[in-house]
Amino acid sequence: MNQKDLADAQRDIAIHGARKGDFVRLGDTKLVVRVEADDRESGTETQIGFGKNLRDGIGMRSVRSEESCDVVITNVLIIDAIQGIRVSSIGIRAGRIVAIGRAGNPDTMNNIDVVVGSGSVIIPGEGLIATAGGIDTHVHAMSPRVCDAALSSGVTTIIAQEFGSFWGVGVSSKWALEQAHNMFAAWPLNVGVLGRAAGSTTAPMEEALEGGVCGFKIHEDTGAHPRTIDTTLAFADENDVAVALHTDGLNEMLSVDDTIRVIAGRAVHAFHVEGCGGGHSPDVLTMAGRDNILASSTNPTLAYGVNAADEHVAMIISAHGMNPELPSDVQMARNRVRNATIAAENRLHDMGVIPVTSSDALGMGRVDDTWRKTFSMASMFADEAILDGTVHASEVMDSNERVLRHVAKITINPALVHGLSHEVGSIQVGLMADIVLWPYASFATKPNMIIKNGLPAWGVVGDPGATVANAQPLIIGPQFGAYGVTAEDLGVHFTNVKSVTSPARRRSVPVRNTRTIRSSDMIRHGILGEIAVDHTGHVVTFNGQHITSDPQNAATLTRTYLL
Amino acid sequence: MELTPSEQDHLLIFTAAQLAQSRRDRGLKLNLPEATALISHAVVEAARDGKTHSEALAIGKSAVTQSELLSGIGPLLTGIAVEAVFPDGRRLVVVDFESNDLDIPGEVVRLEALPVSNVADVVTLTVKNISNIQISVTTHMHFFEVNPRLNFDREAAYGRRLQIPAGEHVDFPPGETVHINLIPISGDRILIGFAGLVDGPLDAPGMKARAMERAKELGYLDGGK
Repeated sequence: MNQKDLADAQRDIAIHGARKGDFVRLGDTKLVVRVEADDRESGTETQIGFGKNLRDGIGMRSVRSEESCDVVITNVLIIDAIQGIRVSSIGIRAGRIVAIGRAGNPDTMNNIDVVVGSGSVIIPGEGLIATAGGIDTHVHAMSPRVCDAALSSGVTTIIAQEFGSFWGVGVSSKWALEQAHNMFAAWPLNVGVLGRAAGSTTAPMEEALEGGVCGFKIHEDTGAHPRTIDTTLAFADENDVAVALHTDGLNEMLSVDDTIRVIAGRAVHAFHVEGCGGGHSPDVLTMAGRDNILASSTNPTLAYGVNAADEHVAMIISAHGMNPELPSDVQMARNRVRNATIAAENRLHDMGVIPVTSSDALGMGRVDDTWRKTFSMASMFADEAILDGTVHASEVMDSNERVLRHVAKITINPALVHGLSHEVGSIQVGLMADIVLWPYASFATKPNMIIKNGLPAWGVVGDPGATVANAQPLIIGPQFGAYGVTAEDLGVHFTNVKSVTSPARRRSVPVRNTRTIRSSDMIRHGILGEIAVDHTGHVVTFNGQHITSDPQNAATLTRTYLL
Repeated sequence: MELTPSEQDHLLIFTAAQLAQSRRDRGLKLNLPEATALISHAVVEAARDGKTHSEALAIGKSAVTQSELLSGIGPLLTGIAVEAVFPDGRRLVVVDFESNDLDIPGEVVRLEALPVSNVADVVTLTVKNISNIQISVTTHMHFFEVNPRLNFDREAAYGRRLQIPAGEHVDFPPGETVHINLIPISGDRILIGFAGLVDGPLDAPGMKARAMERAKELGYLDGGK
């Protein structure tokens, strides 16, 4: 391009954001996406404001919202595991996505998909990326502030295991669960609670179902014995709820092969499948790559870093009530930390074998780090591809497939694993409008706005007494959607069909299809294969091939942005 | 102290700026929140020192230097809005740090210029503003129904809009004559509202004649007289 074309392009990008064919670098990562499509008509891009075309009779149609939209997010770069990477507009009515495509007034504009009403609320999306709200399936809600931190990081759905500073790893008391549902209703956040699968009999689980859990957690700290695993899975099969599994890290009653045998082909969500977070040592990672075992990672091992192992020993002792003065406790902690399995776990993510990332918040992970760590990891592999010269520069320019694979890990795939995908997990017509808006420059690290059920519920707010909304200091905190009874209305309570409790206003939604979901159903993943970990824990293979990755000295999305 | 929410928030600027300063003193390169805090703090304190708005802006712009920043972030330090207490009251200052740094987070790269759209059906008109104030018309306005103080061939403008990029406008200075290009309004070509000259489908039988009639009645054809 000549100098004038270049100047024109820069101005056009500043006004309209990226267009089809443009390359957008995500934050400070090595990930560059190519915009695959643009639903706008060149020359008739809808714009808000003084002298712009979103005015009555021009870009806005003078009709009620039933015939248009309550809220329209205009001209935003959607990065969605199912939609792909496209500039479009999102029409929302009564909290649900009703249309995606070109926005405006069909009376004066061609091929309008999203009718903007003269009374519609507009959220201009130029220069922003829209993703589905993050779904964190592994949250120890030991503190209510975890909900604030989750929302501030772009997470709009959590699957929790506690609701207070008590020991729980799942709760089955119906009375306690009833309190939980009311307490969680204070945040504009979808919440499901896991019941404790500690019973040798189904009686505690029956109670938990009545109390409205959306699934069960088997944890070695409450017993991950053969009987518990079998009883829980059989009970889950009868009731269509998900089962999350933290296996027997001590190999006290069974080794990993035994656990796999007891699972017997039934669907189970294998938490922190690498093993630092717990589970059969040293070889729990061999559970990944199987069709019925839906594997996930917790975020401290992601974007494998040089300090990962040292941090984990301290974390394990602290999180699991161990004593650093007791040599046997320290030894147990050290046994759980292996660089080789961390290195392999990262590689398995890039290969599309492990389909889900999560936090393990306040129980060995950071609730507000899952977007950041997931994309820091994606960047690490994009960088590796550049450095080792295995791809040409032109291919490096476009990380679309890698980016969409990593978006899937924190949106649609956790939704599928826990039976939430009829409500959340993607930017699709019919789903709840749980959408996160990110500036291109801070994608996956600092969101601009968290839209819950169609309303700004959390996001960047400034000096409250200022003349403008964006005066320093800018903080990420509650928006109007977090106040009053609205917070309760904007979130849903994920539950099961046998629940007899429900919060006063919040909608209860039973989870679905949790028992038939398989790894091969995972979006932009589904690679199956045999993972082997040798008895020392130092060599990992996938279908016989050695797999590893290099520890990073510096992670992206971190130093540039965090105070 | 009886601090308001706004004053309490300003303490965050101070705290962050002190932290950033201590890091700068250790020779560390500044990141986005650190640089933003230092710039904001400099503006607030300049106002407190009794400087003028433009002096405070200049102090804010030079609160950090390119060499003190982490690579690539300079161009992101734009639109930093901060309110400060000047001698004549609280005032908003918006600082754009000037930087030509490369390797910018979130950068958009376009390899080819946008194609120029070719519309075959273009009408060129001469428009004279007969009033004594400037009149501006935006892209998608029905040009047939613009301010009657613009004199031009209204009939030729029926169902048309300006051929300029979305969001832009054409200025018609008082007493002057301007040449414009008009293209057909698209979509279903139904115009509701505006000056009420059409208020329906543009291409329905008799609609144009009726619109001309209304335009004449309301003085649109004779300069609003």
